[in-house]
Amino acid sequence: MSDILFSLHSWPQAILHIDGDAFFTSCEEAIHPELRGKPIIAGGERGIVACASYAAKAMGVKRGVPLHEARKRCPGLVILPSDYETYSLFSRRMFNVMRKFTPQVEEYSIDEAFADITGMRRALRASYETIALNMKAEIAKELGITVSVGLSLTKVLAKVASKHQKPDGFTPIPGRMIAKYLEHLPVEKIWGIGHATTNYLNKMGVRTALEFARLPENTVRKRFTKPGMEIWRELRGDAVYPVNQEEKSTYASISKTKTFSPPSSDADYLFAHLMRNLESACLKARGYHLAAKRIVAFLKRNDFSYTGREIKLNRPSVYPMELSPELRHIFVDIYRPQDLYRATGVVLMELTKDASIQYTLFEDALKAERVHDIYRVMDEVSEKYGKHSLHLGASHFIEVFGRGKRGEPTAREKTRFPGETKRRHLSIPILHVKV
Amino acid sequence: MKEKRTLQGVAKIMGAFFRNHRRMPSYTEMIDLLGVKSKSVVHFWINKLIETGILEKDQKGHLALTKSAFGIPMVGSVQAGFPSPEEEALRDVISMDEYLVTKPDSSFLLKVTGDSMVGEGIREGDLVIVEKGREPKNSDIVIAEVDGEWTMKYFTRKGKTIVLEAANPKYPPIKPRSELRLGGVVTAVIRKYHQ
Repeated sequence: MSDILFSLHSWPQAILHIDGDAFFTSCEEAIHPELRGKPIIAGGERGIVACASYAAKAMGVKRGVPLHEARKRCPGLVILPSDYETYSLFSRRMFNVMRKFTPQVEEYSIDEAFADITGMRRALRASYETIALNMKAEIAKELGITVSVGLSLTKVLAKVASKHQKPDGFTPIPGRMIAKYLEHLPVEKIWGIGHATTNYLNKMGVRTALEFARLPENTVRKRFTKPGMEIWRELRGDAVYPVNQEEKSTYASISKTKTFSPPSSDADYLFAHLMRNLESACLKARGYHLAAKRIVAFLKRNDFSYTGREIKLNRPSVYPMELSPELRHIFVDIYRPQDLYRATGVVLMELTKDASIQYTLFEDALKAERVHDIYRVMDEVSEKYGKHSLHLGASHFIEVFGRGKRGEPTAREKTRFPGETKRRHLSIPILHVKV
Repeated sequence: MKEKRTLQGVAKIMGAFFRNHRRMPSYTEMIDLLGVKSKSVVHFWINKLIETGILEKDQKGHLALTKSAFGIPMVGSVQAGFPSPEEEALRDVISMDEYLVTKPDSSFLLKVTGDSMVGEGIREGDLVIVEKGREPKNSDIVIAEVDGEWTMKYFTRKGKTIVLEAANPKYPPIKPRSELRLGGVVTAVIRKYHQ
């Protein structure tokens, strides 16, 4: 089966996918050389494993496992609080190294990126494989972390390739070799194929990526939606998704959640966190000039089950002042005093550009404009003195009760150089070695 | 006869305005600066400058000179002859950041805790900038791991042997027996006396 040809050309296009290996803990190992090769995890402040180093993974510590469970499986485990400041610095450097080779780099997430290197062979005087290997070597040399690199014809295939050998792997899948790599790949491992599609495909008797890619075009067109069709084409080496180098300028939804410890059933405390989630989400939305038409608020119980409600607004808004009565309604509706909760969250959905907001007929437009003005000033204050220096009374309980942060501050938070403040740090990662 | 406007000429006028006022001119000001009659003509020239990469628009649509426009002193086309004092003053500047951190993507900060380099003037509490992945040359200061301990020393290579020497008579030179792990090369030292 693996000798089926999807593409006669080896490299009609060349798309790279770079995926950091256990990114958070790799960054920690880079700045704490004494931890290199030890079982470590990041995520101490959340009470669950956010990222486990390969040494920890070997001991059975996986992502999402609660800390007490992780400690049991691996005695000697080093537990670190997530240091997002440092991880972002490393992330930015990784993308910058990639941009030295091609300007067409898409920052897909904090530890993943795509790059289109089609046509760069002459400019860089190297084959596509060599360009990929050089990029990987440069990241290892300058950042001290390893990444896994996949090189293929499309984004979906490049992702298949980077997953193929991990950590520190490099897998090229040229056009002629596509079938070989899809033959043993279960469909649910394909980027973009979710739970529902997997079930559907399995019912059709399609279990591997190759079987999916070999379905006739008519069948795919008839039985799948547009995304399904696109993935099918991408798997066959036909590039549908472009490598998008523009920075994210818009969002489909914005969500903010907060996990706190110890869990609580105190109504004021919980509502304060929910309110702060709303304030944070709205602040971010305002930064992108977006307003929400629908809002979801939820509470997560201590047994990890959720309870939540959704409301539809009669016009888009991004001002907690306008939204707080609605949020209160939801909260009263879902909160049960006998339950213990460990997290709260708010999601803003159906985001539209805030310039096009129309007031409703029976609304006090003047008041709405006033709220708008208040938030313009509040945003200026946050810019200058830090997020949430001005906030609504309902979220003030957080300041009174404490933020419920779990565990130790990060090594970066414990270091303060002359002139640095809690909010403003030098933009260079610190090596934590005693010399 | 009226002088013909050229791209270089317009770029020069914008550059001069920016140097004098430390901001970009408004469209209204540009009417006078360029000696044109309407904003649409200003708009035409702005677009030309953006096309050629001399100007750029930020996310909010404000105009700014691009980095390359900064790098090259915008004196425009000047005929041969003695340089005028005005041109002499048009040197490019680099920030303290660029001066201290020449390789921003591979540099790390390290706070010095020991006294092994006091002879070099590197004291406890100083910040050093460490460049990862740089090949050390003789008498470079390096951060290295020797037998499980991290140290900061002068680096010397004679043939195949590597010697790490402290700038403090308290510490004898080290000849690493096993493999030497390099953390990086020290490229700068920073000491702040006041907040």
